[in-house]
Amino acid sequence: MAKQLAFYVDLNKCSGCKACQIACKDKSNLPVGVRWRRVFQYEGGEWINQNGQMIPSNVYAYSVSSACMHCAKPICMEVCPTSAISKRDDGIVLINADICIGCRYCSWACPYGAPQFNEELNVMTKCDMCHDLVDKGERPACVESCPYRAMDFGPLNELQAKYGTFADPAPLPDSNITEPAVVYKPNKVTKSSGNANGRLMNLEEL
Amino acid sequence: MDTREWALLAFTILGQTAAGLMIVLMIVRTYIAAKAGNDLADRLTNRPLYIVVPVMAVAFIASLFHLGSPLHIVRAVPNIGSSWLSREVVFAVIFMVFAALYTFLQWRKVGSLGLRIAIGWITVLLAAAYIYAMGMVYMITTQPAWNTIATPINFVIGSLLLGTLGMAAGLIAGGHKAEETNIVHTVLQALAIAAIVLLGIEFIVLPIFMAYLATQGGAALQSLNMMVGSYGVAFFFRLLLLFVGAGVLAAYLYRNASIAEKEKTLASLAYSAFALALVSEVLGRFIFYASHYRIGI
Repeated sequence: MAKQLAFYVDLNKCSGCKACQIACKDKSNLPVGVRWRRVFQYEGGEWINQNGQMIPSNVYAYSVSSACMHCAKPICMEVCPTSAISKRDDGIVLINADICIGCRYCSWACPYGAPQFNEELNVMTKCDMCHDLVDKGERPACVESCPYRAMDFGPLNELQAKYGTFADPAPLPDSNITEPAVVYKPNKVTKSSGNANGRLMNLEEL
Repeated sequence: MDTREWALLAFTILGQTAAGLMIVLMIVRTYIAAKAGNDLADRLTNRPLYIVVPVMAVAFIASLFHLGSPLHIVRAVPNIGSSWLSREVVFAVIFMVFAALYTFLQWRKVGSLGLRIAIGWITVLLAAAYIYAMGMVYMITTQPAWNTIATPINFVIGSLLLGTLGMAAGLIAGGHKAEETNIVHTVLQALAIAAIVLLGIEFIVLPIFMAYLATQGGAALQSLNMMVGSYGVAFFFRLLLLFVGAGVLAAYLYRNASIAEKEKTLASLAYSAFALALVSEVLGRFIFYASHYRIGI
Protein backbone atom coordinates (compact mmCIF):
# COMPACT_ATOMS: atom_id res chain seq x y z
CA MET A 1 0.00 0.00 0.00
CA ALA A 2 1.19 3.47 -0.89
CA LYS A 3 1.80 5.95 1.89
CA GLN A 4 -1.40 7.30 3.41
CA LEU A 5 -1.32 10.08 5.99
CA ALA A 6 -4.06 9.92 8.61
CA PHE A 7 -5.55 11.47 11.75
CA TYR A 8 -5.94 9.77 15.11
CA VAL A 9 -8.28 10.77 17.95
CA ASP A 10 -8.41 9.18 21.38
CA LEU A 11 -12.06 9.37 22.45
CA ASN A 12 -11.04 8.67 26.06
CA LYS A 13 -9.12 11.91 26.19
CA CYS A 14 -11.33 14.15 24.03
CA SER A 15 -13.46 16.47 26.17
CA GLY A 16 -15.26 18.10 23.26
CA CYS A 17 -13.55 21.46 23.90
CA LYS A 18 -13.29 22.22 20.14
CA ALA A 19 -9.79 23.68 20.35
CA CYS A 20 -8.99 21.60 17.25
CA GLN A 21 -11.91 23.17 15.36
CA ILE A 22 -10.83 26.69 16.29
CA ALA A 23 -7.16 26.02 15.54
CA CYS A 24 -8.24 24.78 12.11
CA LYS A 25 -10.35 27.88 11.43
CA ASP A 26 -7.47 30.08 12.54
CA LYS A 27 -4.75 28.32 10.59
CA SER A 28 -6.75 28.16 7.34
CA ASN A 29 -8.52 31.48 7.86
CA LEU A 30 -12.00 30.01 7.36
CA PRO A 31 -15.02 32.31 7.10
CA VAL A 32 -18.05 32.05 9.38
CA GLY A 33 -20.02 28.90 8.60
CA VAL A 34 -17.15 26.91 7.13
CA ARG A 35 -15.82 24.31 9.54
CA TRP A 36 -13.28 21.94 8.10
CA ARG A 37 -12.97 20.21 11.46
CA ARG A 38 -16.11 19.67 13.49
CA VAL A 39 -16.72 18.15 16.91
CA PHE A 40 -19.86 16.07 17.22
CA GLN A 41 -21.46 15.77 20.66
CA TYR A 42 -23.27 12.46 20.65
CA GLU A 43 -25.60 11.32 23.41
CA GLY A 44 -28.09 8.57 24.05
CA GLY A 45 -29.60 6.14 26.51
CA GLU A 46 -32.81 6.37 28.46
CA TRP A 47 -34.33 6.88 31.89
CA ILE A 48 -36.49 4.09 33.22
CA ASN A 49 -39.32 4.45 35.72
CA GLN A 50 -38.70 2.25 38.76
CA ASN A 51 -41.45 2.52 41.41
CA GLY A 52 -42.02 6.17 40.62
CA GLN A 53 -38.31 7.00 40.52
CA MET A 54 -36.54 7.84 37.26
CA ILE A 55 -33.33 5.84 37.02
CA PRO A 56 -30.77 6.53 34.28
CA SER A 57 -30.16 3.49 32.15
CA ASN A 58 -27.22 3.21 29.76
CA VAL A 59 -27.00 7.00 29.48
CA TYR A 60 -23.91 8.02 27.58
CA ALA A 61 -22.31 11.07 26.02
CA TYR A 62 -19.09 11.57 24.14
CA SER A 63 -17.50 13.82 21.53
CA VAL A 64 -16.08 12.86 18.14
CA SER A 65 -13.73 15.26 16.37
CA SER A 66 -13.86 14.75 12.63
CA ALA A 67 -12.62 16.39 9.44
CA CYS A 68 -11.90 15.19 5.94
CA MET A 69 -10.82 11.58 6.22
CA HIS A 70 -8.58 11.69 3.13
CA CYS A 71 -10.23 8.39 2.22
CA ALA A 72 -8.70 5.49 0.33
CA LYS A 73 -11.89 5.59 -1.80
CA PRO A 74 -12.67 9.32 -1.95
CA ILE A 75 -16.27 9.47 -3.19
CA CYS A 76 -15.92 13.28 -3.62
CA MET A 77 -13.15 12.76 -6.15
CA GLU A 78 -15.18 10.11 -7.98
CA VAL A 79 -18.24 12.32 -8.48
CA CYS A 80 -16.55 15.70 -9.07
CA PRO A 81 -17.24 16.70 -12.69
CA THR A 82 -14.20 18.95 -13.00
CA SER A 83 -11.36 16.77 -11.71
CA ALA A 84 -10.67 19.56 -9.19
CA ILE A 85 -10.26 16.95 -6.46
CA SER A 86 -7.09 14.91 -6.43
CA LYS A 87 -5.23 12.60 -4.09
CA ARG A 88 -1.54 13.18 -3.50
CA ASP A 89 1.03 10.42 -3.27
CA ASP A 90 0.97 10.78 0.52
CA GLY A 91 -2.82 10.23 0.50
CA ILE A 92 -3.89 13.83 1.17
CA VAL A 93 -7.06 14.66 -0.80
CA LEU A 94 -7.11 18.26 -2.08
CA ILE A 95 -9.60 20.52 -3.86
CA ASN A 96 -8.03 22.83 -6.44
CA ALA A 97 -9.93 26.11 -6.03
CA ASP A 98 -8.81 27.26 -9.49
CA ILE A 99 -10.67 24.37 -11.13
CA CYS A 100 -13.72 23.89 -8.84
CA ILE A 101 -16.94 25.41 -10.25
CA GLY A 102 -18.87 25.20 -6.97
CA CYS A 103 -21.54 22.74 -8.12
CA ARG A 104 -21.62 21.15 -4.63
CA TYR A 105 -21.97 17.63 -6.01
CA CYS A 106 -19.16 16.47 -3.68
CA SER A 107 -21.11 17.70 -0.67
CA TRP A 108 -24.04 15.50 -1.69
CA ALA A 109 -21.72 12.52 -1.81
CA CYS A 110 -19.27 12.81 1.11
CA PRO A 111 -20.69 11.01 4.17
CA TYR A 112 -18.40 13.03 6.47
CA GLY A 113 -19.69 16.44 5.33
CA ALA A 114 -16.09 17.41 4.58
CA PRO A 115 -16.43 19.51 1.40
CA GLN A 116 -18.12 22.79 2.32
CA PHE A 117 -19.03 25.73 0.14
CA ASN A 118 -17.06 28.94 0.75
CA GLU A 119 -19.36 31.90 -0.01
CA GLU A 120 -16.39 34.26 -0.37
CA LEU A 121 -14.51 32.13 -2.89
CA ASN A 122 -17.60 30.57 -4.55
CA VAL A 123 -15.94 27.18 -4.55
CA MET A 124 -15.92 24.09 -2.39
CA THR A 125 -13.24 23.87 0.29
CA LYS A 126 -12.27 21.23 2.80
CA CYS A 127 -9.56 20.10 5.20
CA ASP A 128 -6.22 20.03 3.38
CA MET A 129 -4.45 18.30 6.28
CA CYS A 130 -2.36 21.47 6.56
CA HIS A 131 -0.28 20.10 3.71
CA ASP A 132 1.89 23.22 3.75
CA LEU A 133 2.95 22.39 7.32
CA VAL A 134 3.18 18.66 6.56
CA ASP A 135 5.49 19.38 3.64
CA LYS A 136 7.77 21.22 6.09
CA GLY A 137 7.77 18.20 8.40
CA GLU A 138 5.33 19.77 10.87
CA ARG A 139 1.95 18.48 12.03
CA PRO A 140 -1.56 19.77 11.24
CA ALA A 141 -2.83 22.67 13.38
CA CYS A 142 -5.67 20.65 14.96
CA VAL A 143 -3.32 17.93 16.17
CA GLU A 144 -0.89 20.43 17.65
CA SER A 145 -3.62 22.43 19.35
CA CYS A 146 -5.27 19.66 21.37
CA PRO A 147 -4.81 20.52 25.06
CA TYR A 148 -5.52 16.89 26.03
CA ARG A 149 -3.02 15.45 23.54
CA ALA A 150 -5.93 13.37 22.27
CA MET A 151 -4.88 13.68 18.63
CA ASP A 152 -2.07 12.26 16.58
CA PHE A 153 -1.06 12.32 12.97
CA GLY A 154 1.10 10.14 10.73
CA PRO A 155 1.11 7.33 8.21
CA LEU A 156 -2.07 5.26 8.61
CA ASN A 157 -0.24 1.96 9.01
CA GLU A 158 1.89 3.37 11.84
CA LEU A 159 -1.15 4.82 13.62
CA GLN A 160 -2.96 1.50 13.22
CA ALA A 161 0.04 -0.39 14.64
CA LYS A 162 0.05 1.95 17.65
CA TYR A 163 -3.65 2.47 18.28
CA GLY A 164 -5.69 -0.22 16.47
CA THR A 165 -7.96 0.03 13.44
CA PHE A 166 -11.30 1.32 14.81
CA ALA A 167 -12.75 3.92 12.41
CA ASP A 168 -16.49 3.62 13.07
CA PRO A 169 -17.59 5.60 16.12
CA ALA A 170 -21.23 6.75 15.90
CA PRO A 171 -22.37 9.20 14.58
CA LEU A 172 -19.78 8.69 11.82
CA PRO A 173 -20.90 6.50 8.88
CA ASP A 174 -19.76 2.96 8.16
CA SER A 175 -16.08 3.09 7.19
CA ASN A 176 -16.65 0.57 4.38
CA ILE A 177 -18.25 3.28 2.24
CA THR A 178 -15.13 5.36 1.60
CA GLU A 179 -12.37 3.65 3.65
CA PRO A 180 -11.38 6.73 5.67
CA ALA A 181 -7.75 7.28 6.68
CA VAL A 182 -8.48 7.63 10.39
CA VAL A 183 -8.10 5.79 13.66
CA TYR A 184 -10.27 6.37 16.73
CA LYS A 185 -9.59 4.88 20.13
CA PRO A 186 -13.06 4.15 21.56
CA ASN A 187 -13.89 4.96 25.17
CA LYS A 188 -16.03 2.64 27.29
CA VAL A 189 -19.34 4.09 26.02
CA THR A 190 -18.45 4.62 22.36
CA LYS A 191 -21.11 3.19 20.03
CA SER A 192 -20.44 1.96 16.52
CA SER A 193 -21.70 3.42 13.24
CA GLY A 194 -25.37 2.70 12.64
CA ASN A 195 -26.23 2.97 16.33
CA ALA A 196 -29.90 3.91 16.42
CA ASN A 197 -30.61 5.23 19.94
CA GLY A 198 -28.24 8.19 20.07
CA ARG A 199 -28.52 11.70 18.70
CA LEU A 200 -26.40 14.75 17.97
CA MET A 201 -26.72 17.35 20.70
CA ASN A 202 -24.94 20.30 19.11
CA LEU A 203 -26.62 20.51 15.70
CA GLU A 204 -26.56 24.32 15.71
CA GLU A 205 -22.77 24.21 15.96
CA LEU A 206 -22.22 21.80 13.08
CA MET B 1 -34.90 24.32 -0.68
CA ASP B 2 -32.97 27.39 -1.79
CA THR B 3 -32.33 29.15 -5.11
CA ARG B 4 -29.60 26.74 -6.13
CA GLU B 5 -31.94 23.80 -6.03
CA TRP B 6 -34.69 25.70 -7.84
CA ALA B 7 -32.09 26.12 -10.57
CA LEU B 8 -31.55 22.37 -10.65
CA LEU B 9 -35.29 21.81 -10.66
CA ALA B 10 -35.72 24.07 -13.69
CA PHE B 11 -32.74 22.52 -15.47
CA THR B 12 -33.92 18.95 -15.01
CA ILE B 13 -37.61 19.53 -15.78
CA LEU B 14 -36.95 21.65 -18.87
CA GLY B 15 -34.19 19.27 -20.03
CA GLN B 16 -36.55 16.32 -19.59
CA THR B 17 -39.28 18.13 -21.53
CA ALA B 18 -36.96 18.97 -24.44
CA ALA B 19 -35.45 15.49 -24.62
CA GLY B 20 -38.80 13.71 -24.17
CA LEU B 21 -40.42 15.87 -26.83
CA MET B 22 -37.60 15.08 -29.27
CA ILE B 23 -37.95 11.34 -28.70
CA VAL B 24 -41.75 11.28 -29.04
CA LEU B 25 -41.62 13.67 -31.99
CA MET B 26 -39.41 11.37 -34.06
CA ILE B 27 -41.63 8.38 -33.31
CA VAL B 28 -44.72 10.36 -34.34
CA ARG B 29 -42.91 11.63 -37.43
CA THR B 30 -42.05 8.08 -38.48
CA TYR B 31 -45.65 6.96 -37.99
CA ILE B 32 -47.15 9.83 -40.01
CA ALA B 33 -44.54 9.34 -42.75
CA ALA B 34 -45.52 5.68 -43.06
CA LYS B 35 -49.24 6.46 -43.15
CA ALA B 36 -49.42 9.68 -45.09
CA GLY B 37 -46.03 10.47 -46.56
CA ASN B 38 -42.99 12.50 -45.59
CA ASP B 39 -44.31 15.91 -46.60
CA LEU B 40 -47.19 15.76 -44.16
CA ALA B 41 -44.95 14.19 -41.50
CA ASP B 42 -42.55 17.12 -41.74
CA ARG B 43 -45.33 19.69 -41.76
CA LEU B 44 -47.13 18.29 -38.71
CA THR B 45 -44.02 17.71 -36.60
CA ASN B 46 -42.01 20.83 -37.43
CA ARG B 47 -44.03 23.19 -35.24
CA PRO B 48 -43.44 21.20 -32.02
CA LEU B 49 -39.82 20.73 -33.09
CA TYR B 50 -39.19 24.49 -32.94
CA ILE B 51 -39.86 24.34 -29.19
CA VAL B 52 -37.11 21.81 -28.38
CA VAL B 53 -34.01 24.00 -28.70
CA PRO B 54 -35.39 27.10 -26.95
CA VAL B 55 -36.56 24.95 -24.01
CA MET B 56 -33.13 23.34 -23.80
CA ALA B 57 -31.46 26.75 -23.96
CA VAL B 58 -33.54 28.00 -21.03
CA ALA B 59 -32.62 24.80 -19.18
CA PHE B 60 -28.93 25.57 -19.62
CA ILE B 61 -29.33 29.14 -18.42
CA ALA B 62 -31.19 27.86 -15.35
CA SER B 63 -28.41 25.36 -14.60
CA LEU B 64 -25.86 28.17 -14.31
CA PHE B 65 -27.66 29.55 -11.26
CA HIS B 66 -26.74 26.38 -9.45
CA LEU B 67 -23.01 26.96 -9.78
CA GLY B 68 -20.77 28.96 -7.48
CA SER B 69 -18.66 29.95 -10.49
CA PRO B 70 -21.05 29.86 -13.48
CA LEU B 71 -18.51 31.29 -15.91
CA HIS B 72 -16.45 28.16 -15.50
CA ILE B 73 -19.16 25.77 -16.67
CA VAL B 74 -16.85 24.35 -19.36
CA ARG B 75 -14.74 22.87 -16.58
CA ALA B 76 -17.59 20.49 -15.77
CA VAL B 77 -16.43 18.13 -18.49
CA PRO B 78 -13.02 16.54 -17.71
CA ASN B 79 -14.08 13.85 -15.26
CA ILE B 80 -16.32 12.08 -17.76
CA GLY B 81 -14.55 8.83 -16.91
CA SER B 82 -16.06 8.62 -13.43
CA SER B 83 -18.57 11.45 -12.85
CA TRP B 84 -22.18 11.11 -14.03
CA LEU B 85 -22.49 14.86 -13.66
CA SER B 86 -19.83 15.31 -16.35
CA ARG B 87 -21.65 12.83 -18.54
CA GLU B 88 -24.97 14.61 -18.02
CA VAL B 89 -23.46 17.95 -19.06
CA VAL B 90 -21.71 16.46 -22.09
CA PHE B 91 -24.81 14.61 -23.33
CA ALA B 92 -26.94 17.70 -22.72
CA VAL B 93 -24.62 19.83 -24.86
CA ILE B 94 -24.32 17.31 -27.70
CA PHE B 95 -28.08 16.72 -27.62
CA MET B 96 -28.72 20.43 -27.95
CA VAL B 97 -26.22 20.80 -30.80
CA PHE B 98 -27.85 17.96 -32.73
CA ALA B 99 -31.36 19.19 -31.94
CA ALA B 100 -30.37 22.61 -33.29
CA LEU B 101 -28.86 21.00 -36.39
CA TYR B 102 -31.96 18.88 -37.01
CA THR B 103 -34.24 21.87 -36.46
CA PHE B 104 -32.23 23.94 -38.91
CA LEU B 105 -32.27 21.20 -41.57
CA GLN B 106 -36.01 20.74 -41.16
CA TRP B 107 -36.72 24.45 -41.16
CA ARG B 108 -34.69 25.30 -44.26
CA LYS B 109 -35.31 21.90 -45.90
CA VAL B 110 -31.56 21.46 -46.24
CA GLY B 111 -30.13 18.04 -47.02
CA SER B 112 -31.78 14.92 -48.35
CA LEU B 113 -34.72 13.31 -46.59
CA GLY B 114 -32.55 10.36 -45.57
CA LEU B 115 -29.92 12.62 -44.02
CA ARG B 116 -32.50 14.60 -42.06
CA ILE B 117 -34.13 11.44 -40.74
CA ALA B 118 -30.72 10.05 -39.74
CA ILE B 119 -29.82 13.27 -37.88
CA GLY B 120 -33.24 13.16 -36.21
CA TRP B 121 -32.69 9.64 -34.88
CA ILE B 122 -29.15 10.43 -33.73
CA THR B 123 -30.69 13.32 -31.77
CA VAL B 124 -33.18 10.88 -30.24
CA LEU B 125 -30.34 8.59 -29.09
CA LEU B 126 -28.54 11.56 -27.57
CA ALA B 127 -31.75 12.65 -25.84
CA ALA B 128 -32.11 9.17 -24.36
CA ALA B 129 -28.48 9.13 -23.20
CA TYR B 130 -28.92 12.59 -21.66
CA ILE B 131 -32.00 11.57 -19.68
CA TYR B 132 -30.37 8.35 -18.50
CA ALA B 133 -27.26 10.27 -17.36
CA MET B 134 -29.50 12.82 -15.63
CA GLY B 135 -31.04 10.06 -13.55
CA MET B 136 -27.69 8.40 -12.85
CA VAL B 137 -26.33 11.66 -11.37
CA TYR B 138 -28.43 10.92 -8.29
CA MET B 139 -27.27 7.33 -7.88
CA ILE B 140 -24.90 8.22 -5.05
CA THR B 141 -24.17 5.43 -2.54
CA THR B 142 -24.49 7.85 0.38
CA GLN B 143 -27.99 9.05 -0.67
CA PRO B 144 -30.26 6.05 0.03
CA ALA B 145 -33.48 7.76 -1.10
CA TRP B 146 -31.86 8.50 -4.46
CA ASN B 147 -29.64 5.48 -4.89
CA THR B 148 -32.34 3.13 -6.18
CA ILE B 149 -33.31 1.96 -9.66
CA ALA B 150 -36.50 4.04 -9.16
CA THR B 151 -34.49 7.22 -9.78
CA PRO B 152 -33.41 6.60 -13.39
CA ILE B 153 -36.83 5.01 -14.09
CA ASN B 154 -38.61 8.11 -12.80
CA PHE B 155 -36.41 10.43 -14.84
CA VAL B 156 -37.06 8.44 -18.00
CA ILE B 157 -40.81 8.04 -17.40
CA GLY B 158 -41.19 11.69 -16.45
CA SER B 159 -39.37 12.74 -19.56
CA LEU B 160 -41.45 10.53 -21.85
CA LEU B 161 -44.64 11.71 -20.17
CA LEU B 162 -43.80 15.37 -20.63
CA GLY B 163 -42.73 14.57 -24.20
CA THR B 164 -45.93 12.65 -24.95
CA LEU B 165 -48.34 15.25 -23.61
CA GLY B 166 -46.14 18.06 -24.94
CA MET B 167 -46.31 16.47 -28.37
CA ALA B 168 -50.10 16.14 -28.14
CA ALA B 169 -50.36 19.83 -27.24
CA GLY B 170 -47.85 20.84 -29.91
CA LEU B 171 -49.55 18.78 -32.60
CA ILE B 172 -52.95 20.31 -31.99
CA ALA B 173 -51.50 23.81 -31.53
CA GLY B 174 -49.74 23.54 -34.89
CA GLY B 175 -53.10 23.37 -36.68
CA HIS B 176 -53.98 21.12 -39.59
CA LYS B 177 -56.18 20.98 -42.66
CA ALA B 178 -59.56 19.26 -42.69
CA GLU B 179 -58.29 16.32 -44.74
CA GLU B 180 -55.52 15.71 -42.19
CA THR B 181 -57.92 15.40 -39.26
CA ASN B 182 -57.97 11.61 -39.37
CA ILE B 183 -54.23 11.12 -39.04
CA VAL B 184 -53.91 13.83 -36.38
CA HIS B 185 -56.67 12.24 -34.33
CA THR B 186 -55.13 8.78 -34.66
CA VAL B 187 -51.82 10.15 -33.38
CA LEU B 188 -53.55 11.97 -30.50
CA GLN B 189 -55.23 8.72 -29.51
CA ALA B 190 -51.89 6.88 -29.53
CA LEU B 191 -50.31 9.65 -27.44
CA ALA B 192 -53.20 9.49 -24.97
CA ILE B 193 -52.74 5.74 -24.57
CA ALA B 194 -48.98 6.19 -24.16
CA ALA B 195 -49.57 8.77 -21.39
CA ILE B 196 -51.92 6.39 -19.56
CA VAL B 197 -49.40 3.53 -19.82
CA LEU B 198 -46.60 5.78 -18.49
CA LEU B 199 -48.86 6.86 -15.64
CA GLY B 200 -49.49 3.20 -14.86
CA ILE B 201 -45.74 2.50 -14.70
CA GLU B 202 -45.23 5.45 -12.32
CA PHE B 203 -47.99 4.17 -10.08
CA ILE B 204 -46.38 0.73 -9.98
CA VAL B 205 -42.83 1.96 -9.34
CA LEU B 206 -43.76 4.47 -6.64
CA PRO B 207 -45.29 2.13 -4.02
CA ILE B 208 -42.46 -0.38 -4.51
CA PHE B 209 -39.95 2.44 -4.03
CA MET B 210 -41.70 3.69 -0.87
CA ALA B 211 -41.99 0.20 0.58
CA TYR B 212 -38.27 -0.25 -0.08
CA LEU B 213 -37.40 2.99 1.75
CA ALA B 214 -39.53 1.88 4.69
CA THR B 215 -37.54 -1.35 5.05
CA GLN B 216 -34.14 0.38 4.91
CA GLY B 217 -34.34 2.45 8.10
CA GLY B 218 -31.85 5.23 8.82
CA ALA B 219 -31.48 8.00 6.26
CA ALA B 220 -33.84 6.21 3.82
CA LEU B 221 -36.63 6.11 6.38
CA GLN B 222 -35.99 9.77 7.26
CA SER B 223 -36.49 10.63 3.58
CA LEU B 224 -39.72 8.65 3.39
CA ASN B 225 -41.05 10.38 6.51
CA MET B 226 -40.16 13.73 4.97
CA MET B 227 -41.97 12.84 1.72
CA VAL B 228 -45.24 11.80 3.32
CA GLY B 229 -44.86 14.03 6.39
CA SER B 230 -43.53 17.56 5.90
CA TYR B 231 -44.13 17.39 2.15
CA GLY B 232 -47.24 15.23 2.38
CA VAL B 233 -49.53 17.87 0.85
CA ALA B 234 -47.17 18.46 -2.08
CA PHE B 235 -46.83 14.70 -2.50
CA PHE B 236 -50.61 14.24 -2.55
CA PHE B 237 -51.07 16.95 -5.17
CA ARG B 238 -48.21 15.53 -7.23
CA LEU B 239 -50.06 12.22 -7.47
CA LEU B 240 -53.48 13.82 -7.92
CA LEU B 241 -52.38 16.13 -10.74
CA LEU B 242 -50.52 13.30 -12.43
CA PHE B 243 -53.60 11.11 -12.24
CA VAL B 244 -55.92 13.81 -13.56
CA GLY B 245 -53.51 15.02 -16.27
CA ALA B 246 -52.01 11.81 -17.59
CA GLY B 247 -55.01 9.65 -16.66
CA VAL B 248 -58.41 11.32 -16.69
CA LEU B 249 -57.71 14.07 -19.23
CA ALA B 250 -55.72 11.66 -21.42
CA ALA B 251 -58.72 9.33 -21.42
CA TYR B 252 -61.01 12.18 -22.47
CA LEU B 253 -58.48 13.15 -25.11
CA TYR B 254 -58.63 9.61 -26.45
CA ARG B 255 -62.44 9.61 -26.51
CA ASN B 256 -62.85 13.02 -28.09
CA ALA B 257 -60.24 12.24 -30.73
CA SER B 258 -62.57 9.57 -32.09
CA ILE B 259 -65.13 12.26 -32.90
CA ALA B 260 -64.55 14.62 -35.82
CA GLU B 261 -64.85 18.41 -35.46
CA LYS B 262 -63.87 18.49 -31.81
CA GLU B 263 -60.67 20.44 -32.36
CA LYS B 264 -61.29 23.07 -29.68
CA THR B 265 -62.11 20.47 -27.04
CA LEU B 266 -59.07 18.44 -28.05
CA ALA B 267 -56.85 21.50 -27.76
CA SER B 268 -58.16 22.34 -24.27
CA LEU B 269 -57.70 18.74 -23.16
CA ALA B 270 -54.18 18.43 -24.55
CA TYR B 271 -53.03 21.76 -23.07
CA SER B 272 -54.52 21.01 -19.65
CA ALA B 273 -53.14 17.48 -19.57
CA PHE B 274 -49.64 18.78 -20.36
CA ALA B 275 -49.93 21.63 -17.85
CA LEU B 276 -51.06 19.31 -15.06
CA ALA B 277 -48.33 16.78 -15.82
CA LEU B 278 -45.77 19.59 -15.83
CA VAL B 279 -46.90 20.95 -12.47
CA SER B 280 -46.95 17.41 -11.09
CA GLU B 281 -43.39 16.78 -12.27
CA VAL B 282 -42.25 20.08 -10.75
CA LEU B 283 -43.83 19.11 -7.42
CA GLY B 284 -42.27 15.67 -7.65
CA ARG B 285 -38.82 17.09 -8.34
CA PHE B 286 -39.24 19.62 -5.54
CA ILE B 287 -39.94 16.77 -3.11
CA PHE B 288 -37.05 14.81 -4.60
CA TYR B 289 -34.56 17.60 -3.81
CA ALA B 290 -36.16 18.56 -0.51
CA SER B 291 -36.38 15.14 1.10
CA HIS B 292 -33.03 13.48 0.51
CA TYR B 293 -30.92 12.57 3.51
CA ARG B 294 -27.29 11.72 3.16
CA ILE B 295 -25.77 8.91 5.17
CA GLY B 296 -23.31 10.13 7.79
CA ILE B 297 -22.73 13.57 9.28
